Amino acid sequence: MGDYSKKRFLVIDDQPMAREALRSIAQTVGAFSVEFASSYQDAIFRIRNNVPDIILSDYMLGDGRSGQQLLEELRRFNMLPDETIFMMVTGEQAYEQVVSAVELVPDDYIIKPFSPDKLVLRLDRITAKKQFFAGFYREKRKKDFAAAIALLKKQNESEAGRPYRYEILRQQAETQLANGDPTSAEATYRNILEKYEFPWARAGMARTLHRQSRHIEARQEIERVVASTPHFFDAADLKATICMAQGEHAEAQRVLDEVAKRTPRNYLRKRLLAEAATLNGDTEAARTAMTDVIANDTMPGAIAPEDRLALARSHINSGDPISAEKVLVTLRDGEVRSLNLAEQASFASLLALASPERGISKFTGLRPAMLSSQLTPIAQMDVVRAALSVKDHELADLHADYLMSSHDAKKVFGNIRAQYALHGREQDFRTIQKEVALRRIHQEAAAHTAAIDF
Amino acid sequence: MNTLLDMLASGIHDAKNQLFLAESLIAATEAEHGLSLGEARYAIEAASDRLSRTLAAYQVMRHSATPAITPVILEDLCDEVMLAQKLHLATREIKLSIDCQVFDAWPLDRDLVTDMLNNAVQNAGRCARSTVKLSVTSEDEWLYLVVEDDGPGFPTLPPAFGIGLLVADRLAALHVQHGRQGSLTLSNESSLGGARFELRLP
Repeated sequence: MGDYSKKRFLVIDDQPMAREALRSIAQTVGAFSVEFASSYQDAIFRIRNNVPDIILSDYMLGDGRSGQQLLEELRRFNMLPDETIFMMVTGEQAYEQVVSAVELVPDDYIIKPFSPDKLVLRLDRITAKKQFFAGFYREKRKKDFAAAIALLKKQNESEAGRPYRYEILRQQAETQLANGDPTSAEATYRNILEKYEFPWARAGMARTLHRQSRHIEARQEIERVVASTPHFFDAADLKATICMAQGEHAEAQRVLDEVAKRTPRNYLRKRLLAEAATLNGDTEAARTAMTDVIANDTMPGAIAPEDRLALARSHINSGDPISAEKVLVTLRDGEVRSLNLAEQASFASLLALASPERGISKFTGLRPAMLSSQLTPIAQMDVVRAALSVKDHELADLHADYLMSSHDAKKVFGNIRAQYALHGREQDFRTIQKEVALRRIHQEAAAHTAAIDF
Repeated sequence: MNTLLDMLASGIHDAKNQLFLAESLIAATEAEHGLSLGEARYAIEAASDRLSRTLAAYQVMRHSATPAITPVILEDLCDEVMLAQKLHLATREIKLSIDCQVFDAWPLDRDLVTDMLNNAVQNAGRCARSTVKLSVTSEDEWLYLVVEDDGPGFPTLPPAFGIGLLVADRLAALHVQHGRQGSLTLSNESSLGGARFELRLP
């Protein structure tokens, strides 16, 4: 039995009696220091201040929040070191269904009622597993992904690794993806799926296919997951992302709308919903979602400048430039200067659209930089739009060309065409499309010839 | 709160929370006064298992049960059964022995399978003279979880199914992999001379 007397426990439960019960169990297993959190926000605050060694969190935290959501948020803000134990406590058998499906899982879960002995058994087991993975955690934290993957592969061959094979492969696939190698990650997920049809592995494979821009295959895989595990909400997010890449914005919005209703306080999902609604031309839905995000995503640092840009964009789309301008001017000069070039380009473009007298000079000032850089797809769409409105054909056509040659072509096609149409330049847009298509044919032919020569 | 299932699940959830409060109070009292109230805690956990099993039975009968499959380390699973049953069996002077020969993680529904085994060990403990044995082996990609005792064996074969066996039988069948399906076999071919409970999972 492990020694838990020096470990710092954090017990999270919104019910005072249950909290007390968890504390007394923790003390019975020898815990000297047990801290309490009575709500989701309180838990985040305490973990941010001082990361505990062992977190015992109830699954139901009240106020529309769950322990699962807490876990996701902690990972999102990188507040949970791999060494910290996160144990979900639940009276619900239903939580098993969640754990068996989703990609992001706690170290373990335990069903109430349970004895102190049983908790110790589970904690000992998690500790042993974390010791097994300790070297991997170190390499991963250093972002030395190649070393981390090499270590996992070695451990997979070892006798000591036998009980952890699935966990090793799962970590390996995630690390390969983080290392920018979706092809290897795909192979690893296929290896897992040969053994058992885990929904998280199938979703992982869809993610690797999406990263390789193999959208049709990715869509087929993710549809299987969504159909078989409707409570796996992240799979729905992934499906929506793939739909957007395929240009099916209405379907993306429908899927996200449905899960967002069931997880009203998941603000990453709301951001994705806003993106889908924007692409789908549902300006009001986009505006509502972004307003909700900015008002209610209360984690410090959660609201990034790009969120304000998204809100401003949704106001412009809804024909409300005054509100857009109000949002944009909340970004102070210093903040704008510290944005990356793509965000600065979005800022200048949106301000030029919302308030030409304030924005056009900024937009023109950035012109040389915008002509010489590729930017991001979102920024490019803003630039094309603003450039069209100030009749800067060269800048508009350059970025329209970039977009139509990129992997995002299907995603943005409808919107770009509509913008060109708005300014009476449909014919010019068709010319750009034609040039892009011709260039692609030449490239493919050249690649073909090169292959034959070789 | 739409369906009858939601209502049952919510009621059982609340009852289990209450049982958890009771068990933690007992555990705290044990620690404070150096007592051993293992049988009281055993009764609480058995009551909770009954509630879960009742819900599982309802889902099985309504064909709405889906197993939650995760990779499970079988040695850990055996340890849990040992922990849950050891003291109670000891009060009846029955020894529980465990032989786990499978070292790789196996995809199965941990909580359901643990419950089936707890139930089988409980049943065996009622009939055994001195020993109950839980063994875990694998052969041809099948996993065998076997509970045997040295009692008189089942009086009739197949034996009358209580709720526990009924649920075990149906849930075994819900474990499916590469077209192969789990099953439950009850016999008197125990290596200890009594009853034999065999859960075979793909």
